[in-house]
Amino acid sequence: MTAIAEPRPGVRWHRVSAVVRRHVLVQVRNPGHWFLLLILPIVDALLFSSIGVAFGQDDRAVEILVVGILLFHVIWQVTLSGSLGFLEEVWSRNVLNLWTTPLTESEYGLALLVAGFVRALVSMGLVGAVAAGLYSVDPTGAGWVLAVGAATLMVFGWAVALLVIGLVLQFGETAEVFSWGLLVLLMPLSGIFYPPEALPGVLQPVAQVIPLTRIFEATRESLQHGTVQWIDLGLGAAGSLVCVALGAWFVQRQLRRFREQGWITRFS
Amino acid sequence: MHGDQLHAPVVTARGVRKRFGDVQAVDGVDLAVAGGERVGIVGPNGAGKTTLLLMLLGAIDPDEGEVELLGRRLPTGRSAAMEDVGFAAGYLPLPDRLRVHEALRFFADLHDVPDRRVVVDRVIDELDIGYLRDKTCMSLSSGQATLVGIAKAVMHRPRLVVLDEPTASLDPDIALRVRDALARLNDEHRTALLLTSHDMREVEALTERVVFLRDGRVLADGAPATVVADAGHDTLEEMFLAEAVRMRGARL
Repeated sequence: MTAIAEPRPGVRWHRVSAVVRRHVLVQVRNPGHWFLLLILPIVDALLFSSIGVAFGQDDRAVEILVVGILLFHVIWQVTLSGSLGFLEEVWSRNVLNLWTTPLTESEYGLALLVAGFVRALVSMGLVGAVAAGLYSVDPTGAGWVLAVGAATLMVFGWAVALLVIGLVLQFGETAEVFSWGLLVLLMPLSGIFYPPEALPGVLQPVAQVIPLTRIFEATRESLQHGTVQWIDLGLGAAGSLVCVALGAWFVQRQLRRFREQGWITRFS
Repeated sequence: MHGDQLHAPVVTARGVRKRFGDVQAVDGVDLAVAGGERVGIVGPNGAGKTTLLLMLLGAIDPDEGEVELLGRRLPTGRSAAMEDVGFAAGYLPLPDRLRVHEALRFFADLHDVPDRRVVVDRVIDELDIGYLRDKTCMSLSSGQATLVGIAKAVMHRPRLVVLDEPTASLDPDIALRVRDALARLNDEHRTALLLTSHDMREVEALTERVVFLRDGRVLADGAPATVVADAGHDTLEEMFLAEAVRMRGARL
């Protein structure tokens, strides 16, 4: 029999929605996931808003801190949705089950992306509600720069998630630490709450090359002076796109090695 | 199923080889399984069964050789081929936090099954696992999980069902029920069965052909009675034990 020439399979959306539904059920039935999605954004909103009230010179300080943590939760939720979403398959030893279905890698990735998008919206809504309801701060003061920033950060968050998924493919669940560790590393270096000049001199060049820094700079500028820093937004968006392209390349490479090295046996 | 699909090979491997470090896990295996055929891959631990099976499923790339699954070249044709393949392994649980009917529905969705609810209800009836329907997969005993895994593998009436140690953790009466269900699937729908097992009586009961592996190579391939007789043994189990002792001796 002659093998059928195989075009790249197209995306079947009902398979994507099936994976999203599964992750929603995992979310609903896992108290740990509730904590990450609902409690942590509220705690962070309370913490950083109160710091702003206690030490800020004016209302702008609270606003800057609130918008900073709101945007950070975008990356946080998108990254966790991707990395913990895949780790959930590893923990429940479901990788081989998924591999032996028609589900493609792209469909699975899209499903995690959709789940991450929803998680980010929920998280942003909670931070915004705490800020508006308890501190009378309107986090939308940055206008549409906030929306562009959030969209860019989703792209960057997905790049981090792809990196972590690639590492999990190779190292299994021991790579879980990267899903938290990379975010913890990024938090002080990307100028979420302060300009990069506030960092020690030796770290400032590092901060300058992280795309997130540009987005947070543009958002602060918009909040403080009402101006739009096109260059910062453009650099942040371009840098995030480069990062997500590198992440996609890394995962493709790791999937090829996954099949070549027989790593599937580690997951079954 | 179209008439011309009935006897077309469902899986074909040509000269497949796989090495992990110093170990040549599979060493030049040729294998073709016809539609509706019932084939057992046997051999002691380390003979290369699972590596071969995972290469046939596109989960491991061969170093050399090629695999076609339902006429699709792997790895690029994996997704399309898997629409007509079912897989279950005795050691593989289903997603922890889903209930049994949700897990089956999830896999029905992934397999593009029309009328998913009907199909899930039907397989639950056929395997008599209605009492497990609302249990979470993480609460199942290993035997119950195996039954649900087999339901997952067969519910979409695939042309090929691949089973790795399918009844390893089942009570004898449930194992018999599973064997009956698989035989019925094969009889009524001409579903090809490809399985590995350490239970040689199960292999003899379920298959019409065995492929006996030694050190990643095909030692014998044919009807169980012929393979056993050609090797100078009385039963497949005796042949298996003799081969296991030989392998242990070779390692020492």
